[in-house]
Amino acid sequence: MKKRVVLIGGFHKTKSLATSLIKKGYYVTAINNNMQNCQSLAEIDKLTVFNGDGSKPFILEDANAYNADIAIVLTERDDDNLVICQLCKKRFHVKKTVALISDPKKTEFFYRMGIDSVVCAISAIAGIIEQQAFLDEMATLVPVGEGRIRIAQVPISQTAPAVNKKLWKLSLPKEVTIGCVLRGDKSMIPRGDTRILAGDILVIISSDEHEMTALKELTGR
Amino acid sequence: MKLFTSKKNRGHIIIIGCGRLGANLANTLSDDEKSIVIIDKNKDSFRKLSSSFGGIILTGDATEISVLSEAEIEKTTAVISVTNNDNTNIMVAQLAKELFQIGQVVARLYDPERECVYREFNIDTICPAVLSTKEIDKLLDASEEMEGVV
Repeated sequence: MKKRVVLIGGFHKTKSLATSLIKKGYYVTAINNNMQNCQSLAEIDKLTVFNGDGSKPFILEDANAYNADIAIVLTERDDDNLVICQLCKKRFHVKKTVALISDPKKTEFFYRMGIDSVVCAISAIAGIIEQQAFLDEMATLVPVGEGRIRIAQVPISQTAPAVNKKLWKLSLPKEVTIGCVLRGDKSMIPRGDTRILAGDILVIISSDEHEMTALKELTGR
Repeated sequence: MKLFTSKKNRGHIIIIGCGRLGANLANTLSDDEKSIVIIDKNKDSFRKLSSSFGGIILTGDATEISVLSEAEIEKTTAVISVTNNDNTNIMVAQLAKELFQIGQVVARLYDPERECVYREFNIDTICPAVLSTKEIDKLLDASEEMEGVV
C-alpha cells in the first residue's frame, strides 16, 4: 500500500515537497486555507487538495488524515503548527508528525510536546548561509543528528597540502573520516594507501568541532 | 502589620491578551488586590484597562519564552490565556504548564473540538459557546417552568 502523507499550510514549500513526494510514490494530500493557493496546488498531478483551516478537526477529517503515515505542518505560525501536530497525533493517530517552526528557542519544547520531528527554518538557513559565506571550499554540506555530525564535500585544489599524500600520512583528527573519494566520474571508497590527487573531491564525515581542523589539514585554508 | 500579611496573600497572576475579557479580568482582579501582569502584542489594547488598574502592562508576544520570562512567570501562581486565537491560547497554556510548571492555567477557547489536545495537560478551559448554550438553555427552562406554573 502507498504511504500517505498530509501536507498542511505553506505554499511554496508544499508545492515542491508535494511534487517530490509524489514522484517518490507517496499518496499526498495538501490542506491550505487560501483558495488561490489551493487552485495553484491543484495543478500538480495526482495531488489531492483541500481548502480549509488545518487546525480544525473536521477539515482534517475531510482530508482523511486518519491513520496517515506522515503529517508535515508548514503554516507560518508556531502555535498553529503545534496544535495541528497534536491534533494529528492524538486524534487522528498519524504515525509521524513533522513541524516547521520559526522560533529556534521552542525546538525543545515542541519535542517535549510529542512532535516527532521539528525543523527550524531559521537556524537551518542561518547555518547554510554561514557555511556558504565562510567556507568556499565546501560544495555541499549535510548536517546529521541535529547538526552534531556533518557530511561535507571538499574539493582538493592543486595547491592543497593533502595533494599526492597517502591517506595514512595525513594527520586528521580521530573524529573525522574520509568516506569517499570522487575522482572524475568515478567514486571510490578510500583505504589507508589511497593517494589524494588534485581535482579529487573528498566526502568527509566529521563532528561539528573537528570539521575546521580537518579542512585546514586537507585544503590548507 | 495587616498590610504586610495582606501583601503576602496576594496572588501573582499573568493575563495574556488584553481584549474585552482580558481587560475586564485584569480590572476585577486588580481591584481584589492581586498583583497582575497583563501581556498583549498591541499596545493600543491596554486602553481598555480602567484608570484604577494597578498592575504591570507588558507589550510583546507571549508565545515567546523570553516575554514570559520577562513577566516573571516563575513566580506566578496562575496564568490566564485569553487572546482571540485558540491555537495561541493552547500553546501559551502548554508552555506555562510544561516548561514553567505553573499550577493553575486557564485558557479561553472558542472551538471546543480541539479538546483532545489539552485534556491530558490539566489545563482549565473556558468555552464561551458552551457556556452561552448552557445559560440560554437554563433561561429557556426557567421560562418554561414559569409557563407551567401559570
